[in-house]
Amino acid sequence: MTRTEHVALKGTRDGLILYLDPTADFDVLMKELNQHLGESAEFWRGAAVRCYAGGREYSSEEKEGLASLLQKHALELSGWLSVPGKGPESQAVVAPEHDQHAQDEGQTEGKALFVKRTLRSGTSIQFEGHVVIMGDVNPGAEVIATGNIIVMGALRGVAHAGATGDRKAMVSAYNLAPTQLRIADLVTRAPKDEAGSEGPEVARIKDNHLIVEGV
Amino acid sequence: MVTSGKGGVGKTTTSANLGTGLASAGHKVVLVDTDIGLRNLDVVMGLENRIVYDIVDVTSGNCRLKQALIKDKRFENLYLLPAAQTKDKTAVSPEQMRTLAAELKEEFDFAVIDCPAGIEQGFRNAIAGADRAVVVTTPEVSAVRDADRIIGLLEANELRNPRLIINRIRPQMVKRGDMMDISDILDILAIELLGVVPEDESIVISTNRGEPAVMDHSSKAGEAYRRITRRIRGEEVPLMNLDVPDGLMDRLKRLIGMR
Ligand SMILES: Nc1ncnc2c1ncn2[C@@H]1O[C@H](COP(=O)(O)OP(=O)(O)O)[C@@H](O)[C@H]1O
Ligand SMILES: [Mg+2]
Repeated sequence: MTRTEHVALKGTRDGLILYLDPTADFDVLMKELNQHLGESAEFWRGAAVRCYAGGREYSSEEKEGLASLLQKHALELSGWLSVPGKGPESQAVVAPEHDQHAQDEGQTEGKALFVKRTLRSGTSIQFEGHVVIMGDVNPGAEVIATGNIIVMGALRGVAHAGATGDRKAMVSAYNLAPTQLRIADLVTRAPKDEAGSEGPEVARIKDNHLIVEGV
Repeated sequence: MVTSGKGGVGKTTTSANLGTGLASAGHKVVLVDTDIGLRNLDVVMGLENRIVYDIVDVTSGNCRLKQALIKDKRFENLYLLPAAQTKDKTAVSPEQMRTLAAELKEEFDFAVIDCPAGIEQGFRNAIAGADRAVVVTTPEVSAVRDADRIIGLLEANELRNPRLIINRIRPQMVKRGDMMDISDILDILAIELLGVVPEDESIVISTNRGEPAVMDHSSKAGEAYRRITRRIRGEEVPLMNLDVPDGLMDRLKRLIGMR
């Protein structure tokens, strides 16, 4: 995977996946992408690219702009990835190979990204897999993962686990106080003035609702 | 460098007081105003009417550094390099700033760089020249958010261990719980606290007079800046009494100087 601040490119068996920071300004994305591809497009030449921008919807004009930028670098925009249930194009980025036995035991496995710092306002981490943050996620920062998100500190920003639709995904933090929390297609906002619960908590989907409980 | 992200939180006030405080302790100090187009450090220092050349004249080779430096009214060993008022924000490059900083380091014990608000060119220039950073915030959610962003950018640019000044604390509001709690701010920003400056109208008066409050021994904010100056010089100084509840005061006292 290669990345800049707001865009990331990842090669998969089915071609390239381009991750676009859903919070970033479109012009900034285009500028970064253009520069990034200028440096590495030779390597990908001719590949088909699917784009993923979380829940962000681009205008048809913007989509065209993106397509022609990719074309300029000899890449072909072949589709958009989104949260399942949102449209016919939707499909999961990776189909997790479920080990039924392991699942039964309440275990999951898969790729994980370890981040050994605090995410400060303005930073965004997007990862296809699980994300573990050894630090805090501050207000104004966000973590988006197709799998689980674990924060070994305070989660005060935005977290989106199961971003491509996995409703089994969960978010856990030592201090769970997010601005907004999303799992798959469900969203909750932090209740104001919640009597700060002590100790680690985990958020998951239960019976179609996002619930928070002690670990 | 003195930075904040958000405008109007007290960068210029802090720069003027820190510079004056360090000069009064006998150091050779230069104040550098990098807020091109919105210069006002000269006004706060009461030196506006002496400006002939500015920072852009120096970096573009229009004049020598010595010609542009303005000597302070009170201290022999305090100088100001004013910002340009009429030139474009991008008139100085990070490369030029680095060269300028190297030259200043030869001459001075401390160069206090007053940053513009924002995270654009002016901020990048200041980063290019600085060895240490002081981040100023007020106890407001938006200011703290911007400070956090700035700290992330400082860290990404190898300016490690920035220190924090929380400005415009109103003890009455803290007591009532109406103001963002200092320990909440420290929880989020998680950097060393350099000092807490109370809201104080003597700041407005001294700013208008062009005489930094740090020299006014009856000013509470001046007292806070005197303590901050001593901490910059490496002394361990207790936090001043802010008239906030004892419990909070105790916690703060433990936090000061903690890394
Ligand atoms: N502790 C304080 N008490 C009262 N007024 C203050 C205090 N700190 C700053 N001010 C006022 O706030 C305004 C903005 O301060 P300034 O230092 O110019 O901010 P910045 O350089 O970050 O834009 C000024 O009018 C200043 O007098
Ligand atoms: Mg200013």
